[in-house]
Amino acid sequence: MALYNFKKIMVVPTSKEFIDITLSKTQRKTPTVVHKHYQIHRIRHFYMRKVKFTQQNYHDRLSQILTDFPKLDDIHPFYADLMNVLYDKDHYKLALGQINIAKNLIDNVSKDYVRLMKYGDSLYRCKQLKRAALGRMCTIMKRQKQSLEYLEQVRQHLSRLPTIDPNTRTLLLCGYPNVGKSSFINKVTRADVEVQPYAFTTKSLFVGHMDYKYLRWQVVDTPGILDHPLEERNTIEMQAITALAHLRSAVLYVMDVSEQCGQTLEQQLELFNNIRPLFANKPLLIVANKCDVKKISELTEEDQKIFADLTAEGISVIETSTLTEEGVMTVKTEACDKLLAHRVDGKMKGKKVHDVLNRLHLAVPAKRDEKARPPFIPEGARIGRKTMEVDVPKRKTERDLEVEMGDDYILDLQKYWDLMNQDEKYDVIPEIWEGHNIADYIDPDIMKEELKVKDEEMQEIRQLAKQIREKRKLKIVCSKDKDVHGPRLPRTVKKVERKTLEKEMGDLGLDMTGKDDSHYAVNARRSRSVGVAKKRKREASVIPTSRTRSQSASRPPRDQSGVRDPKMAKQAKKLMKNQQKDMNRQGKKGEADRHVFDLKPKHLFSGKRKSGTNDHR
Amino acid sequence: MFPQNEHIELHRKRHGQRLDHQERKRKKESREAHERSHKARKMIGLKAKLYHKQRHSEKIQMKKTLKMHEQRKTKQKNDDKTPEGAVPAYLLDREGQSRAKILSNMIKQKRKEKAGKWEVPLPKVRAQGETEVLKVIRTGKRQKKAWKRMVTKVCFVGDNFTRKPPKYERFIRPMGLRFKKAHVTHPELKATFCLPILGVKKNPSSPLYTTLGVITKGTVVEVNVSELGLVTQGGKVIWGKYAQVTNNPENDGCINAVLLV
Repeated sequence: MALYNFKKIMVVPTSKEFIDITLSKTQRKTPTVVHKHYQIHRIRHFYMRKVKFTQQNYHDRLSQILTDFPKLDDIHPFYADLMNVLYDKDHYKLALGQINIAKNLIDNVSKDYVRLMKYGDSLYRCKQLKRAALGRMCTIMKRQKQSLEYLEQVRQHLSRLPTIDPNTRTLLLCGYPNVGKSSFINKVTRADVEVQPYAFTTKSLFVGHMDYKYLRWQVVDTPGILDHPLEERNTIEMQAITALAHLRSAVLYVMDVSEQCGQTLEQQLELFNNIRPLFANKPLLIVANKCDVKKISELTEEDQKIFADLTAEGISVIETSTLTEEGVMTVKTEACDKLLAHRVDGKMKGKKVHDVLNRLHLAVPAKRDEKARPPFIPEGARIGRKTMEVDVPKRKTERDLEVEMGDDYILDLQKYWDLMNQDEKYDVIPEIWEGHNIADYIDPDIMKEELKVKDEEMQEIRQLAKQIREKRKLKIVCSKDKDVHGPRLPRTVKKVERKTLEKEMGDLGLDMTGKDDSHYAVNARRSRSVGVAKKRKREASVIPTSRTRSQSASRPPRDQSGVRDPKMAKQAKKLMKNQQKDMNRQGKKGEADRHVFDLKPKHLFSGKRKSGTNDHR
Repeated sequence: MFPQNEHIELHRKRHGQRLDHQERKRKKESREAHERSHKARKMIGLKAKLYHKQRHSEKIQMKKTLKMHEQRKTKQKNDDKTPEGAVPAYLLDREGQSRAKILSNMIKQKRKEKAGKWEVPLPKVRAQGETEVLKVIRTGKRQKKAWKRMVTKVCFVGDNFTRKPPKYERFIRPMGLRFKKAHVTHPELKATFCLPILGVKKNPSSPLYTTLGVITKGTVVEVNVSELGLVTQGGKVIWGKYAQVTNNPENDGCINAVLLV
């Protein structure tokens, strides 16, 4: 059984559109150029392809229509009946049948003409045959104009039908027009059904959903039913009858006690008795609506007797008013309970329930001894439960204060602030101080920070940090003041004299005596022994020619390590350049650059050059 | 969850339309003429041809209706007022057709019937040469023998037709080109029926084609008209009548004929 989705049926085009689309598709998607001097089999193939392509398109589209539209035998009888009422089963089946016939005819036409084209001995003959074939197919489609229009209308209406699940818990509202069914569904669910004072405002079924006992319930609103025999009923009423007949639901028969709908209570009772057979096997409830205008107790004796009779038969009658909302909840709970009980009964009587019941076992712990072991409820939970249950306000809320003081009331939230120093509650807090936005500096952990500051050690560290910061700033200022001609070099380029180092550190408070065997002193002596002139005075801005001065002598730069003489150095350099030639030619960044350039991106070189775009893409 | 039934109309009823709805609508309608002309100017290719053709027929209709409206306002010459047989003053002297002419016409027709010349809708048709109708099929071990011929036009073979043994058949009539039905139009009723062919009466190009049953334009075929329910004076049912083929069946894939009454 195919699953149908009424909302996802493809649009059915009109016959003219259908023909236009298919023919233009054939023209675009098949090759267009053929000449007289081509070989005859090539000409034949060219035209046969066109015929077959057109046939394929028609076939596909028509098959899709045929599968999308639901078969009345495959869907739930409720929907089958509803569609019969709305669209006339015969007409519907005929329309789909015509489409099917058209599909077969088109297939036959294509077969015939392809067979004929095999005997085509000239371009003219093949072309005429193709023309005849396509023309024939399009004429067949032209004849389907009526069917296609009808199917499009059916599709539009079908997609807007309410999705009613026939198997789930449903409450069905029925009664005369204007008694208050739509108002009821508006009150109980979120459905927004139109409510107007004229009869037959609701012209089709509406569905709304509500929750009760953690379950989802459907409420179905029907158009009103008038009291005449089944044959004379019109389409609108037949929808209501279909819903009553097929949906397994609880029926809520709504009556208008105040007779504002235009029917007397006797007439309403007449209708009730007439459609009684449809209520067989369904839990029934009578809703006496519009009781804000007239209560049952205010009615005459005979009318009250009607209701008494109904109650005597076992059908519950509940007074409601959808205007004042009294009784609506009672109706809802009672109808739902009845339906649930009915459904459970049904399930219990069925066969499937035994499979489940046999596996269920409720275990009750057996008593071990006579000691009483009541449930333990902790104190907090007990208090909480008590506060939830008892309806006593625990504290005076601001609202209560406002109500008390009336016009004098001013909202004063600062009295609830919890500060260490309670006097500061009403202090004014500035927003901007010394050019800074105070809100930027609020730190939730500020209390912890304050406590930390009180610690002595931290105080010393802070003092030191402050000094360091000051000294650093001074140094920066001094260095900026220096008038350097040329680029500013980083400090690591220059060599630092031992004397300056020891002096600076001594100034800062470090003990620099007896540092002859420290690392920096040893290195300084070692670098001196390499063999470069000792006491050449250099200016601060000249870069030392060899970096070995500031680095350890045991690490020569890579382009000089292992190189004995200038000749070898030159050769090494030449080798290096040779190896780089290839990479440079290809524009690579280095050895590791393996990027592959996309010189002919597909999107710029593919696709048809349609008319008007021959000089650009 | 999903909107139900006539939700669009309901929304319009409840909330009305956009505040500038009428203005937008009016402006859009007035822009239509500009957009249509822009489209007509910028379109190219096959789409443009089709569009221009359609637009042309629309314009013709518009012009016709305008003309009709104009006609109501002006007075027209009424042609019905002149009686039948009325003759202008300068022709009053001549006499009408005399009896002699009628008699001689009758004699001429009898002579034509005797000669076997029928009155057909297409009196003259282009003659089809042998090279056109029959294609040479080469056979033999070395494909040298060329005595077989294949018919390239549509043909009709009777119900009781059986091929000669393939080794000896000189004319091959392929099954794909054999047709049994023709679309016959009654010239007075202007209605077309699909009638089975009974046989080929005469092919104007050559008697050879008649015997082979080749159907080309102008061929007279006999069709089974029992469907139409024609009856003779004597009360007998007519079930065979002649019809002349009016199209080229090999190009159209079907035989269209006109009934000879």
